[in-house]
Amino acid sequence: MKMTEENERYERIVNILRNSRPDLIKPDEIENEIIGRIQRKKIMNGRIPDFIEAIFSWVYIGWVRRSLIGISVVLILIFVYQQAFIFRQVKEISKQIVITGNESSAVSSPVLDKRLTLYKMSSRISPAGEIRISESQLEDLLDSYNELQVKYKDLMRILEENPDLKKSIEKKLKEEKNDKPEI
Amino acid sequence: MVEKELIEECRNGDLHNFRKVVEKSTPLIFTVAFRILGDEDAARDIVQDTMVVIWQKLGKIRTAESYKKWVYRIAVNKCYDQLRRKKKQKENRYDDQGWAVIANHLAEYGITELENKENAMIINLLTNQLSPRQKTVFVLSELEGMEAAEIVNITGMAKSVVKANLYYARKNIGSLLQKYL
Repeated sequence: MKMTEENERYERIVNILRNSRPDLIKPDEIENEIIGRIQRKKIMNGRIPDFIEAIFSWVYIGWVRRSLIGISVVLILIFVYQQAFIFRQVKEISKQIVITGNESSAVSSPVLDKRLTLYKMSSRISPAGEIRISESQLEDLLDSYNELQVKYKDLMRILEENPDLKKSIEKKLKEEKNDKPEI
Repeated sequence: MVEKELIEECRNGDLHNFRKVVEKSTPLIFTVAFRILGDEDAARDIVQDTMVVIWQKLGKIRTAESYKKWVYRIAVNKCYDQLRRKKKQKENRYDDQGWAVIANHLAEYGITELENKENAMIINLLTNQLSPRQKTVFVLSELEGMEAAEIVNITGMAKSVVKANLYYARKNIGSLLQKYL
């Protein structure tokens, strides 16, 4: 009896609510507001909101959509930072001389010192830390330097053995020096 | 409801025709939002938000039937979101004046039509203790007269979840009626 009475009350109140459709007061106002919002959106909307809409249109729950957009932005930022970091590291590494194990064991330390000196010189000559000398060019430079040194030693040896020749060369050099104008 | 041809014309960006779509859709959205939220102003906001989203999604809507489904889905989900946000602010107090109004209506012969203010008050009194899910399912099933399959389609809940929520909503409202009347 009690259950039936409760059901009856429930059905009756639900019927009242079902039959009482709420009245939308001033529907024109709401229509104008909607059209106005769409027009404003049309003007303001760039490609980015369309892009976001295209990607996240399958999410209807507002907070889920906002969270997904937030997570995506964070991931993109992390990715960009990582890429920038890696790029900077690569740039730093490219400035350094890479000596492989075989090379280092084959090259004696005075030669390596010379090579480093030349390399440093070349980086000083280039503007804003730019290094324009390649490995092969460095090798050529080093070879010509060694060749020059050998030739210089030979020349000195010949001059030591031949004092007349040495004197005549010294005399010639002195004359040339005197001929040069004073700066 | 809104015709397929009208939707196709709006898809080309015709705002004049979209105004007709708005005119035809607003009562439906307003009713369901009003019933779920129990608040006239909030329901008006939901109507606006829903129609703006509909405008953006016109490209995906092919038939008049799917239009109705989209409208309900967007509006109900927006209401559901709002209910979830309001959940913590829910007040639990006895409103003797409100229950007296319900008692008067129950005592009247025949079915009376309620004004917005009274309607909102009764909905709020009866559904204040319901969870957002229970409230949504109750409104769609009992007040909008939808089948469980339709509610599943709109809310994305499983059929068993819809039935369970409806059961608990009825039980909760029934016990309130028994307690206060």
